[in-house]
Amino acid sequence: MDFRLSDEHRVVQAAAADFATREILPVAAALDHSGEFPTALIRKAAEAGWLGMTVPEAYGGAGLDAVSYVIAQEEFAVASAGVQTIITVNNSLVCDPILKFGTEAQKRRYLPGLATGRTLGCYCLTEPASGSDAMSLRTTARLDQGTWVLNGTKAFVTNAVEADVCVVYARSGPDPGAKGLSAFIVEKAFPGVRVGKVEKKLGIKCSSTAEIVLEDARVPYDNLLGERGQGGRIALATLDGGRLGIAAQAVGIARAALEASRTYARERKQFGRPIGEFQAVQWMLADMATRTEASRLLMYRAAWLRALGRPHTKEASMAKLFASETAMWAAHKAVQIHGGYGYIQDYPAERYFRDAKITEIYEGTSEIQRLVIARNTLRGQH
Amino acid sequence: MNTIVCLKQVVDPELPQWDFAIDPATKRQVRTGKPLVISTYDENALELALQLKERAGGKVTALTVGPPGEVKDAVRLALAMGADEAVVVDDGAAPQALAAEKAGVLAAAITRIGTFDLVLTGCESADWVERAVAPFLAEALNAACVTFITRAEAKDGGLTVRRTSEEGFHILDVRLPAVLSVTSDEALRPRLPKVKDIMGAMRKPVQTWTRAEVAATPDAAPEVEVREVAIPQRTMKCEFIEGEPAQQAEALVSRLQALKVI
Repeated sequence: MDFRLSDEHRVVQAAAADFATREILPVAAALDHSGEFPTALIRKAAEAGWLGMTVPEAYGGAGLDAVSYVIAQEEFAVASAGVQTIITVNNSLVCDPILKFGTEAQKRRYLPGLATGRTLGCYCLTEPASGSDAMSLRTTARLDQGTWVLNGTKAFVTNAVEADVCVVYARSGPDPGAKGLSAFIVEKAFPGVRVGKVEKKLGIKCSSTAEIVLEDARVPYDNLLGERGQGGRIALATLDGGRLGIAAQAVGIARAALEASRTYARERKQFGRPIGEFQAVQWMLADMATRTEASRLLMYRAAWLRALGRPHTKEASMAKLFASETAMWAAHKAVQIHGGYGYIQDYPAERYFRDAKITEIYEGTSEIQRLVIARNTLRGQH
Repeated sequence: MNTIVCLKQVVDPELPQWDFAIDPATKRQVRTGKPLVISTYDENALELALQLKERAGGKVTALTVGPPGEVKDAVRLALAMGADEAVVVDDGAAPQALAAEKAGVLAAAITRIGTFDLVLTGCESADWVERAVAPFLAEALNAACVTFITRAEAKDGGLTVRRTSEEGFHILDVRLPAVLSVTSDEALRPRLPKVKDIMGAMRKPVQTWTRAEVAATPDAAPEVEVREVAIPQRTMKCEFIEGEPAQQAEALVSRLQALKVI
């Protein structure tokens, strides 16, 4: 057993940290306040290769493995969870399923643009009436003279406003549940596709979250992703990778909360000494550090399994569950350590607190993660 | 234009104050366990070298001296940014060395590399701020030397450079070979390497020589002796000036004058 990062992973970490420090961190607070989508910043991230990290070089990507992916995502999330959300959705929820289930023609058509930032992707699974029960979705897809016609509304779609390419799940057959679902690559420019209600959120404010409305949206026959009826499987396989991206986001938020708290605890003096000298604060810092480290190790292990091509559904769920609850808990403690200064916007603790909450909700709530872990555990998969 | 860029790994200057420590035995900054980065102005020097290569062709070689474990990330980054080759002089004593000794090792390594037109360094290192490596190097290599450069263009077999000075800047023509020390400038903001270039850099060879192999003069009597290194202690004192506003203002002015603040 060797817990050291490889040379390759260390270099990726240094480069991602450099990008985060130089490009993301200086604008992170301003982006949170304005809620504006960071177009120029995302272009720079794309030029550097961060938008198609695991896409092979042949399709314009960086050709990195899943461990490199989570390492870089953690660095971005330390600086801004909002910016990282934009990047991770494009990588793991859009590039990944096209790479894994797409035809050669689909890969050639869509991946180079998505990997280099010419286009941005979004993932359309959730609907107003189907969240945790994703497989009960109601959007329909029917064939009309060789063209798919999609109808329905997708909700809480990250990157919806700016995205050019959507991975959309719809009911293409009479079978109830997952068996009736198919996945489609839908360009926003196709007739009948529009952005619906744009949501106002508690955190990750610079990423857009909106509805994608499909009204007799006409999608070429060849834009079916995978096989007809394979949509449920594609959705679940995609979420394994997506959950690693959220685990990395949560580890990043927890680390940012810890680092801010450590700095504050050393600088803030009360009763004649730094508050970090008081055991009450030390215990909070100790628990934050321990849980953050444990989250990172779970994340690394799940990413390592993914990089080897081994099953990792349970491990990705464990990493996402533990890391997201750690992020929320650590951000809560960070606000407490900062006291009144934790509650105001001059310090980043309140941003971490607002950003952390979503990690317990999207790409499967904590309750769904426990369901996935329990199912796998009961099946005897240790 | 064949350019050699000298890179130094320093403890990250952005580290919080409490992470800064001095080893009383060696009178040097503690490096163990601290994150290391390429010294700030050295990155500007590398950027200038890459821009010159893009405009005038040639080759960029990154050169660094230090324990390979400490410096390999620096040369990987340089290769990822676009350097063609990298040379590491394995020298465990390098982190302790001051400018004269460091320049001696660098000059010996450059001589071993062989032909070059241009050597670039940062104008000062982020740890010792000696500003002396470039002039020492120029002397050892019998090359022209200009310090505090922000621009350089190839011209008539030489270079036209812009040197920053207190009054503004000078435009100078420089013959080659030359050693230039580079300062920061918006145009020299180091480029961010692309991820695929980072991976490509992992596959590029890094030449490693020991200090003995480059035949650097060992243990030349140091010209400079470090007697003491200390972290400045800052104390704060608060004085209250009593009285009516007019008297307070008068008392404040005379107090500030006494303190030579105004």
